[in-house]
Amino acid sequence: MSAHATAIRTGTALREAATSAREGWSDTATAGGVAVIAAVVAPFVLGGLIADDTLAGGAYLALAATGLALCVGLAGVPSLAQGAFVGTGAFVAAHVLRHTQLTGELCALIGAIAAAALGTAAGFAVRSLDSVRVAVGTWLLTWLVALALGTLPWLSGGAQGLVVPTRRLFGLHPTPLVHYELGVMLTGLCALALVALRRGPFGLDLAAASQNRGAAAALGVPMERLRVAAFAASAFVGGLAGGLLVQLDIVADPTAYGPLLSFELLVAVLVGGAVAALGPSVGVIVLGLISLAARALGALAGVSAARFQPMLEALLLLAVLTTGGHAFVPAAIRAARRFRPARERASRRAAATGKPSRAELLRAEGLVKRFGPVSAVDGVSLELEPGTVTGLVGPNGSGKTTVLRLLSGTLPADEGIIGLGGRDLTGLPAAARVQAGLVRTLQSRPLFAELTVLEHALVGANRRRRYGGAVRTLVSTPLFRAENGLAEARAFAALEAVGLAEEADRPASELTGSGRERLMIAAALATNPAVLLVDEPSAGAAPEDLELLRTILTRLKAEGFAVLLVEHNLALVHAVADRVLTLELGRVASRDTDAGL
Amino acid sequence: MSLAVQVVFTGLSAGGVYGLVAIGHSLIYRLTGIVYFALGDLIALGAFVTLLVAAGTQPLTQETVSGGRMALGVVAGLLTCVLVGAAGYFAVVQPYIGRSAIGWVAGTLALGFAIHAVLDAAFSRPAYVFPDPIPFRHVGHDGLVTILGAQIHVRSFAVIGVAVLVAAAASWVLQRTWFGRSLRAIADDADGAAVVGISVERTRALAFGLAGAIAALAVIVAAPGAPFETGSGTLLGLKGLVAAVLVRFGGLWSAFAAGLALGVVEAALGTGLLGHLPGLAAYRELIPLLVAIILLAVRPLQTREVVE
Repeated sequence: MSAHATAIRTGTALREAATSAREGWSDTATAGGVAVIAAVVAPFVLGGLIADDTLAGGAYLALAATGLALCVGLAGVPSLAQGAFVGTGAFVAAHVLRHTQLTGELCALIGAIAAAALGTAAGFAVRSLDSVRVAVGTWLLTWLVALALGTLPWLSGGAQGLVVPTRRLFGLHPTPLVHYELGVMLTGLCALALVALRRGPFGLDLAAASQNRGAAAALGVPMERLRVAAFAASAFVGGLAGGLLVQLDIVADPTAYGPLLSFELLVAVLVGGAVAALGPSVGVIVLGLISLAARALGALAGVSAARFQPMLEALLLLAVLTTGGHAFVPAAIRAARRFRPARERASRRAAATGKPSRAELLRAEGLVKRFGPVSAVDGVSLELEPGTVTGLVGPNGSGKTTVLRLLSGTLPADEGIIGLGGRDLTGLPAAARVQAGLVRTLQSRPLFAELTVLEHALVGANRRRRYGGAVRTLVSTPLFRAENGLAEARAFAALEAVGLAEEADRPASELTGSGRERLMIAAALATNPAVLLVDEPSAGAAPEDLELLRTILTRLKAEGFAVLLVEHNLALVHAVADRVLTLELGRVASRDTDAGL
Repeated sequence: MSLAVQVVFTGLSAGGVYGLVAIGHSLIYRLTGIVYFALGDLIALGAFVTLLVAAGTQPLTQETVSGGRMALGVVAGLLTCVLVGAAGYFAVVQPYIGRSAIGWVAGTLALGFAIHAVLDAAFSRPAYVFPDPIPFRHVGHDGLVTILGAQIHVRSFAVIGVAVLVAAAASWVLQRTWFGRSLRAIADDADGAAVVGISVERTRALAFGLAGAIAALAVIVAAPGAPFETGSGTLLGLKGLVAAVLVRFGGLWSAFAAGLALGVVEAALGTGLLGHLPGLAAYRELIPLLVAIILLAVRPLQTREVVE
């Protein structure tokens, strides 16, 4: 009986998976599949035009570049350390090959794990830095590894490098052709993973974090953890490429994994396209053509091709950058879309209601924040009750926004305690407070420039997911897929609550100022909070928008949310607030408890 | 004792050049919020243009260059630095400021690698001996003097002296001239500076050019002391960046001091900390880099706050 039920359930799950796969299939996917098959048969078709070992080296470079695209394309982080990760994988694998009898693939795996460890450390070091410092830090790391290989003979085997014994790869004799096909397959797998991750909650969070750190932080996206994960994964793939590359080359060359390699990989990613899964591979092919051109130029000038190659690569990158940074693959996809517009997605209905999951009291006592000698917030206490709106008003510089930031956790308080329900939130970071049910919106800002309206709300809805991690996304577990539907329903409900459900598939950048304010409220609502902190929702709103805002806030109140409304528009405040706190010079000057003044 | 004296002088003369590069990195960061990854190669470009004008690409002995041609070479080298540095600002930095970090990171790196490759194509020998603007070898014993038992190159004094003079001149320009005041105004608040009539773009571009030129000047003085390679500039750019990171892209004199300190520390590590820990000698370049990475990660941001 139970076996029968299980069989039925498995059958249903499989059918659902097939349906969703069919729905997800697109022309781009067809093109990608054709490209991978073309790559697999390339050595047989090219028939010795290009040597197998050159092709194999290119395949491993494409693998390393696809790994880098995780950092650059998904996370939007300018990592210059991929060469260092490839080098780490290469030399660790070389040492293991020389000192053990393990098979080739195991040695490469050990190299990849070592690189992932270095990548995790690097990601941890730069987890909360701005892009300038990430670029500098990863650049210094690339040099650290290159100089270490150049100056430490025990590590690198001196100027002639480490000669590596040949081992079987997956039971096969490791000819260049075997290496090439392995490289193509791994690159294809990595590109598939990139596509799956980009479409899932993990990729959406990364995109949000890279497009607007402040807004992503306010919605509780755990940016530091995401960045460490992106670095670790990107380093793992780079290290794997390195560990296989040394077995192809039979020698680990200490000069091969320096800043130039990091730069070339970045060129491949940017020229081919960081967000398209096969972009990095196309970039590597372009680099291969450049190397042919360099050889021709070198023969003309009578000097070695190595002198021209970096110059041509640099010029190509500069050309791509100056023409607006339109990389090859995304440009081709855009051009193709002009002829065949993307299919409409099936319409979705909201299933979940917009009610808060729990009614809880937020209590803050004696909040103090000092900036040098100035006390921006000087002993503010407040309570936000479920089903009420509390207005927070005051002149510019009175500390309203600082209070919001202390409550939401983007700024640590010097003194004071914050509790929600029975739980102490004092000292917790913003992401943890969002998990606890306390979320804020940001003042009028461009949100995530490249996401659609629905995707904005999904970033919020992701905060309530339990099965949305990178690994579950990759294997697409049944729990993961079931939760997809829930998250989308919750996002839709939030959009309906602010009157944006009709706009779900439009790019958010097309919304009006007032639409963006409401979208930010929807994204916050989708996190399923108990308490909403709303910052200046009327900024840039026309009179009819104000009416809409009033309706929305009144409905939120009726549904049981505790709302703190920071507003300059006193008419709006008085229309919806049950209580009004007036701040002056960081202190509460008056607490007006008359409803509807 | 003599070893310590040796370390201090060798270190200070290397550190003087690092310090000037660090000043360049620091100045550019404060002006635009970016790091100019091409700075080191720009410096090498200045040095090699000087070599080209003064002596051509042929092998040379230090006697073959006349004073007039050398002076012409120095002027040409510094001018090239200013022009290419400023052009680089307009081409690969200005379009991306405040918009796309990946844009300017990739752009300045590409510019650096392009300059390096041009130098490699034009100067194909592994290393070059630079002509000597000042004939130090006639001073002391073949260019060496003995201080407290240590043999010191007379050139070291000149390099340290030139570095300090250039730093002082840069400081004077920054504090006392209209150009310097504009630079400081832009560093404080670029929009505000534009409102009061400062041409932000032109001022920044000139600063990008001068940042390379002041370091190139020190390199031209220091280069005849040892063989100079096309890649030496890249490495100088890196050392200057390490020094600038150590003081969090701080003020002019702290960047210079960090460069000097880095030079001395490297020299001390290179002797195995004066012979006490000989194993450290191999790590003389690695340890400062590692320290810089760690400091970059653990110290809070000095300027713009990240969130919001």
